[in-house]
Amino acid sequence: MSNKEKIKKMLVEELNLEEITSREIKDDAPLFGEGLGLDSLDAVELVVLVQKHFGIEIKDMEEGRSAFESVNALAEFIEKRSRG
Amino acid sequence: MSRSAPVAVTGAGCICAAGATLPGCVESMFGGSRQPLPPVRFSTGHSVKYPVFEVPEEFFPPELPEDERLSRTSRLAIAATMEALGDAGLDLVQLRSMRVGVCIGTTVGSAMNNEEFYREYRRGGRPDMSPIERFLRSNPAASVARHFGLTGPVQTVVNACASGTDAIGVAASWIRGGLCDIALAGGADELCRVTYNGFISLMISSNEPVRPFDLDRKGLNLGEGAAVMVLETDNVVEGRKRKKRSWVLGYGSSCDAYHLTAPKPDGAGLRQAIREAMDAGGCKPDEIAFVNAHGTGTPDNDRVEGRVIAEILPDIPFLSTKGFTGHTLGAAGAIEAAFTVACLEAGRVPASIGFETTDPEVSARPVTETTTVNGGVAISQSLAFGGNNAVIVLGKGER
Amino acid sequence: MRRVAVQGIGVVGGFGCGVDALARALTEGHVPVSRVASIPSDGTVSLPALLADTAPLEKFFSKRAIRRIDHFSRLSLLGACLALTDAGLFDSGLERMGVIVASGYGAMQTTFDFLDTVIDDGDICASPTHFSGSVHNAAAAHIAMQLKATGPNLTVSQFEMSFASAMLTARLWLQEGRVDRVLLGAVDEYCGVLGYCRERFFGTGPDEIMKPFDFTRHSAIVGEGAAFFVLSAVEEDTCYGTIIDAGLGNLSGDTPALPEETIFFLGADGHGRCGIHYKTIVPDGASVAAYAPLYGSLPTGQAFDLAIAALSVRDGRIPASPGGAMVAGQWKVAANEKPDGRALCCLKTDSSGGFGYITIKEAA
Repeated sequence: MSNKEKIKKMLVEELNLEEITSREIKDDAPLFGEGLGLDSLDAVELVVLVQKHFGIEIKDMEEGRSAFESVNALAEFIEKRSRG
Repeated sequence: MSRSAPVAVTGAGCICAAGATLPGCVESMFGGSRQPLPPVRFSTGHSVKYPVFEVPEEFFPPELPEDERLSRTSRLAIAATMEALGDAGLDLVQLRSMRVGVCIGTTVGSAMNNEEFYREYRRGGRPDMSPIERFLRSNPAASVARHFGLTGPVQTVVNACASGTDAIGVAASWIRGGLCDIALAGGADELCRVTYNGFISLMISSNEPVRPFDLDRKGLNLGEGAAVMVLETDNVVEGRKRKKRSWVLGYGSSCDAYHLTAPKPDGAGLRQAIREAMDAGGCKPDEIAFVNAHGTGTPDNDRVEGRVIAEILPDIPFLSTKGFTGHTLGAAGAIEAAFTVACLEAGRVPASIGFETTDPEVSARPVTETTTVNGGVAISQSLAFGGNNAVIVLGKGER
Repeated sequence: MRRVAVQGIGVVGGFGCGVDALARALTEGHVPVSRVASIPSDGTVSLPALLADTAPLEKFFSKRAIRRIDHFSRLSLLGACLALTDAGLFDSGLERMGVIVASGYGAMQTTFDFLDTVIDDGDICASPTHFSGSVHNAAAAHIAMQLKATGPNLTVSQFEMSFASAMLTARLWLQEGRVDRVLLGAVDEYCGVLGYCRERFFGTGPDEIMKPFDFTRHSAIVGEGAAFFVLSAVEEDTCYGTIIDAGLGNLSGDTPALPEETIFFLGADGHGRCGIHYKTIVPDGASVAAYAPLYGSLPTGQAFDLAIAALSVRDGRIPASPGGAMVAGQWKVAANEKPDGRALCCLKTDSSGGFGYITIKEAA
């Protein structure tokens, strides 16, 4: 499974997004506000999920904000940080 | 909202990192000292150390040794009650001859979160039942009632960070409603791994000493402690010919109905609660000597609260004492009410420790040095998870 | 103290969902029981339990709107919605309504779900969503958020005394005119740890039948659910009756002064140790009833007793107690009688001599 697919699965299952499937999430759709409509509590949950599923630590929400813009942005962030 | 009859306060007790007693806390606050440190009583897997405000063992009264059948939260509550009763000049014989209620706010004190027990249970083991027995025996208000042999109404308020303020408001209504002659009202909470990890996971804990209302604030530091106030009906206090230490003049509360963890940006709920408390107390803004703010040091709380204070209580000195105590959760509202009583008596408030630079998004600045305050009335307020807002208006007494 | 009218009731429990389901269970006299494992690794040890289903909540809210709400808060939200609907207030503005939630144990399962994340993946993977849901006032907060209730909001937790204690506050809020109505409810959930505790303290037992009037043995079956009430100070015509008294105390002090000719709805739920205390308060020869077999043993079970008492006022008939007993020791069992203007006292005691009571009667 690619990182993007893994991210989408994580979003749907761990954030309980019951009425949507992984396939329906667009790579470039905003995660917060418009698009998926996540909020501040989802944001901190996402930080924990990224740690748990990808082993990557996000130290503060400044870092998190740009990483969480979309599935694309998050995948890119994970790839960059994994390379070290 | 109609005017409510003032309720007499004849004694107060407080135990927290700032001091073993209320006078002890007041002295250390006016002395400008504080000692947030990484936790000692428990450890965690975080590489970053988040400072907390722990209560050292020597702060507990010697007559109240550790008891493995009683939670630390209940022990803190009983310690604060012992001081409050002494301050009110009430002995057990007098107390037990009357109908005495107990209303205590808490968060951890009502949570069954014993990790050791749960880890073993999960593994399929058969863990020992003593943590459960301790939990069942340690409801904070019930523990206080049992310890002192009291048989009036009992309530444990679990309104998150507003619990202590709400408990005092509820107890005042018991007195006005004639449900009891005396009410012991306050809050208690202990530090533990669950809340420590929980607040870190929400990314609102600071790895530095807390800086309420400061531009560079990074979040809260947790603390632990308890405070209890003795509320009495007019009949009882006149009969005892006791000087009143303070009055509960008004209480207001509301819910933002907005979000589980973030305060409503326009502060409408807090405004509503302040208005209700002031109407109940028959007070106008220009009579308020000072405000003991919730001021946790999180970006969101201080911004919303600061703006509300700037708008509806402008030019009134305000401070957050959480710089001295940490955020004591269910105890906070009660500890801060006790501090408010003490500061009204002293006619001055300490500097709001941790604050240096004004945040332009907040515009109001707390006091930066010991400040004389004029006036016989002060506000203590709390904002909580779940969007609860609770405000009490306290009046200067005769002592 | 002013009388407080009950204008709406919402209940969910092992018997189903809504007052009609509760009324049916009262008529049938029993509720089918599930079996739950009491230790995670050993499915052979199981206990009977009366579990509640929150699926009907989806009639009120989309799945998306309630995606983060845990079972504890769902039970509570469902009870609240049912009570408001029953009172004809679901679509009204709720600014002048207070919300009070009582819970004996709070959101226990969510606390353990939080601990799961810490145990499974370490402290740095603690879940903020579970943490915020584990704080006991989450249920009351969700009610406020989903229904836009911005008035005073309080949660109370003290085991078996929780509901009576919360009722004291509800009456005072109405008395003081802080609000025009109070949405007062009680909620407790089942979780595996509770089942384990039940088994450790009392054994698994052979029975699946609760016998509340038998204080010589333990026959409690764990239950969960929520019971909510819309209370108001205005004594409009209410079919459910008015609350005329409520109080808390301890048997080491004074016992409550109750009207003569009171019918006692006992919160006896199969825990033998509390039985002695009912005998101290309820006089010999009194009329009693006990309905815990229909909703199970939970600290806030008293709220279900109040719902049944209110239904008794509405229907002019006190239902038979499950099990069909007509006599219970030194008491008569009130079965299929008319209340006839008598006070119905919902009484709950705990093992330390604490008691809480709520008395309801036909509106005068």
